[in-house]
Amino acid sequence: MASVAAQYLPILLFLGVALLLSTAFVVLPIAVARLTGAHKPSTDKLSEYECGFPAFEDSRMQFDVRFYLVAILFIIFDLEAAFLYPWAVSLREIGWTGWLAMMGFLAELLLGFAYAWKKGALEWE
Amino acid sequence: MIQTIAFYLFAIMVVLSAGLVITARNPVHSVLWLILAFFNAAGLMLLVGAEFIAMLLVIVYVGAVAVLFLFVVMMLDIDFSELRGGFVRYLPFGVAVALVLLCEIVIAGGAWEAGPVELAGRTALAPDPAAIPNIQALGTLLYTRYLFVFEGAGLVLLVAMIGAIVLTHRARGGVRQQNVRRQNIRRPQDATRNTNPPVGQGVEL
Repeated sequence: MASVAAQYLPILLFLGVALLLSTAFVVLPIAVARLTGAHKPSTDKLSEYECGFPAFEDSRMQFDVRFYLVAILFIIFDLEAAFLYPWAVSLREIGWTGWLAMMGFLAELLLGFAYAWKKGALEWE
Repeated sequence: MIQTIAFYLFAIMVVLSAGLVITARNPVHSVLWLILAFFNAAGLMLLVGAEFIAMLLVIVYVGAVAVLFLFVVMMLDIDFSELRGGFVRYLPFGVAVALVLLCEIVIAGGAWEAGPVELAGRTALAPDPAAIPNIQALGTLLYTRYLFVFEGAGLVLLVAMIGAIVLTHRARGGVRQQNVRRQNIRRPQDATRNTNPPVGQGVEL
């Protein structure tokens, strides 16, 4: 059990290095600017300036429902692809039963795919 | 040693980001915290040796489900401050649901510890992750022993696909569909025309 997690140790170290570097990139400019420049903040200096429209407003806007349809179709085919990985790895052990099982699974989703295509759910404009 | 440190790091991050998911004021921030929670849960899965599950968490949950959540959050036109107003009114119901879930977790954990509930000879089914890769162990079971469950999962996906299309798809006018057959049967002779006009007469198109 230890060996599986141990193989991922370089990634963990890499994560630590990335965290360190990104923290440095954020903190260093602020610290250097604070130490070298004159630091006299005032309300007018700190307020953001934007010409013509209020600087802060709700950034949310309504999306078209078509994005939802595309996302859910993506999830379904993503899962289908995810199921293929263990199947491909263990195909030698599971034999024809496993092969037929996957073919049935693919046929089910092919049915859905044909339906989506026929309905025009994959068309955008 | 490193494993223990990593476990506590990931576990603390999961709990913290899960807490921030439900306390963040902005629902988009909630989704982003959820993504962080998924990443840390993937790290926890790696620590117990379930590599495939960890990768699946990253690919499916972070890559697809979180994006879907973002789309849904952006699609809803809800005044969230107004929605938060009913907190006290919904509190008893929420607490009840949370209690039921807590009881289920405790019962499931107790049953697992007690042992008499023999979950299909679980020890024999779970090989050592160091000996057999997690993905291979999963594959040998999923497509043979749990074949019907697997095909049922396929049916659930099919129903989800059809349901989503039925609910959200509406035919749009002016869609220019590609007609592959028409493209293929079109010959150069149909599309172009050779003319030999006399000088000064011009071409009539």
